[in-house]
Amino acid sequence: MTNFLKKSLIAFTAMASLLTVPAFAQETVKVGMSGRYFPFTFSKQDKLQGFEVDIWNEIAARSDYKVEFTTSNFSGLFGMLEAGHIDTISNQITITEARLAKFAFTTPYVIDGVQVVVRKGRDDINGIEDLKGKKVAVNLGSNFEQVLRRVDTKNEINIVTYDSGLEQDVALGRMDAFVMDRVSSSQLIKKSGLPLQLAGQPFEKIENAMPFLNKPSQIVIRDQVNKALAEMRADGKLAEISNKWFGTDITQ
Amino acid sequence: MQSSFDLQYIIELMPILIKYLGVTMEMALWGFLFALILSLSLALIRVFKVTFIQHLAALFISFFRGTPLLVQLFILYYGLPQFMPIFIGMDAFTAAIIGLSLHFSAYMAESIRAAILGIDKSQMEACLSIGMTRLQAMKRIILPQAARVATPSLMNYFIDMIKSTSLAFTLGVAEIMAKAQMEASSSFKFFESFLAVALVYWVVVLFFTRIQHLLEKRLNKAY
Repeated sequence: MTNFLKKSLIAFTAMASLLTVPAFAQETVKVGMSGRYFPFTFSKQDKLQGFEVDIWNEIAARSDYKVEFTTSNFSGLFGMLEAGHIDTISNQITITEARLAKFAFTTPYVIDGVQVVVRKGRDDINGIEDLKGKKVAVNLGSNFEQVLRRVDTKNEINIVTYDSGLEQDVALGRMDAFVMDRVSSSQLIKKSGLPLQLAGQPFEKIENAMPFLNKPSQIVIRDQVNKALAEMRADGKLAEISNKWFGTDITQ
Repeated sequence: MQSSFDLQYIIELMPILIKYLGVTMEMALWGFLFALILSLSLALIRVFKVTFIQHLAALFISFFRGTPLLVQLFILYYGLPQFMPIFIGMDAFTAAIIGLSLHFSAYMAESIRAAILGIDKSQMEACLSIGMTRLQAMKRIILPQAARVATPSLMNYFIDMIKSTSLAFTLGVAEIMAKAQMEASSSFKFFESFLAVALVYWVVVLFFTRIQHLLEKRLNKAY
């Protein structure tokens, strides 16, 4: 009996260890992403592509690292990072206090913010301070209504909640403006083809960057990435990649 | 927003899914093989009531039946590496196979045990009376009969395992469910993508159901 058991146990462990090939090449940076966030990271005809992919291919071209992309459900990405299965996450991760305490972030490569959008040609609205007495559309379920209410303490903005089609009503002139995050706004304008424009600068800055584990070996990679990002920012490559996917520069 | 059903898209998606079907099937087949070995060992330990180890086997079965597969996969892939660095080297594919085999072996062990216990006690007594050892009796007389009884339920677990491999994308394994989700995120054709992947699973399961029938026929020949 015990002999039979031993044999099967040995067979099991042997086969299991055959499958386990530790993939450790020092020059390879493993970048995790969801592959499900268009147009940042997505797959079309089985080809992984998007803004994040372009950024990393460029970082690789400018540093000593090779890039290996790992796609996983978003919910699994931070777990993989903490367990050391990947080196960083490139999926529009927003810098927050809690994450800063735990991870070493690169310099932000996408600056997002809350954006006011108006009909093309309209120049009387250039930001949130011009919205007093105006009709402003926000999407149901977004937190932009709360953002507006926080600024609008005297209740002077006429906020209307939309389930869908708010961009149509702003383009038609039924509403004066809508409020959304800037990157989505740019996307919406590009995709819908409606006569809309961004009104002024975004407010309530949102900074997105790539988190690394706070360990010396990882900080080394982080610093190399920062160096490449700074170069890309300086010679306009970052802006170029952004323009390719968004028709606007979301990196500043 | 409404959009019309796009059959063309499903047809175009199929070759991509089929390309990754190998990953799905490899996980299921390796997982089932290890699960079979492990579950047979567990069942025998419990049937023979091996001192002390039988309690460990019972604990093992209790844990892996009593917790969700997804939780086990997370513990294996995200949890263990945090305090046992040796596990960092384990890739997602291996983790998925180990997780699947541990989880399903717990269920299968009980099926096998039930099948063994279902063989009349007098058969074992007869074997012992003519001088076979208990292990010999098990190997020569009891297990071949128990295999016939256990086959339908074991095949059931295999089918379940094929479908459970769809959880592996949570660990980052690029299998068919992962591809369907990623393609859907850029085409926004969620219904078509998931319908396509459902069809692939279905056809595979139909194939193995057919194999099960043939296998059962063969095992029933003597009866």
